[in-house]
Amino acid sequence: MAEKRTMTLNLTPTEMEAVEELARRKQLSKTAVIRQALRLYQIVDARMEKGDKLFFEDSAEKKAEVMMI
Amino acid sequence: MSERPIEIIRREGEIHVPAIVYDGLKPADLVLIERAWGPTRLRLLQELLGRDVPRSEWPESLHWDWSRKADELRYLEATGFGIVCEREWQGVMLTKTVSHVAQLPAEKGRPLVYVDYLESAPWNWRIRPLGQEGQYKAVGTVLFREAVRQSVKEGFHGRVGLHALPKAEEFYRRCGLTPLGRDRRKQNLTYFELGPTEAEGFLRD
Repeated sequence: MAEKRTMTLNLTPTEMEAVEELARRKQLSKTAVIRQALRLYQIVDARMEKGDKLFFEDSAEKKAEVMMI
Repeated sequence: MSERPIEIIRREGEIHVPAIVYDGLKPADLVLIERAWGPTRLRLLQELLGRDVPRSEWPESLHWDWSRKADELRYLEATGFGIVCEREWQGVMLTKTVSHVAQLPAEKGRPLVYVDYLESAPWNWRIRPLGQEGQYKAVGTVLFREAVRQSVKEGFHGRVGLHALPKAEEFYRRCGLTPLGRDRRKQNLTYFELGPTEAEGFLRD
């Protein structure tokens, strides 16, 4: 794995709670949660830049477009 | 790109030979790998056609083209691994960390390393109808081990998922992966997953 760099991340208490909750549910460190979020954001952003749309599909395979702003 | 010494097995004489596994391949590496492997793929295709070998006996990844997968390495979620032995690429793997999550009931929704593609060099394939035995063995095992190691390093507790080509299913069962059924969204291939306990056992062996 590549060399790592350190940064300070300032979060509101609510944002920190969200990170901690995700870390607990996904069995990840808080750093890993942020890294996964960044990776996902990069993919979504690249696809949206190309003009693609983002959909979620429920268990009945019904699709709903996610409006990105 | 980081590197680590490993060993693969030269089939002739069953000799363990030193090799290097690279982690963090660049898009250009995949283009160069396909340039090196492409002529052998083409020769094998011509021989298979020339001898009327039934398609069911063809190597399942004969049609792959790593240069077409190069763009995927632009994303943070993708990692390319490759093995070099005797100055030639002997195997390549592309993994992803975001686009799939665990399906095993006890692990559902948790992150894993998904093995998108894993292939040994065409001269390493055993193709009985052509009398080709393959030069090196254990390339797939070494690469799969790297996926499990990546999962541990990422903090994913060794979870690994993949869709197996039919002829590779037995290999992944032996590695301790659990088959979770066919996936009609992925050419009806069987989806396999390795859980944390099995990953620990696999890395220990």
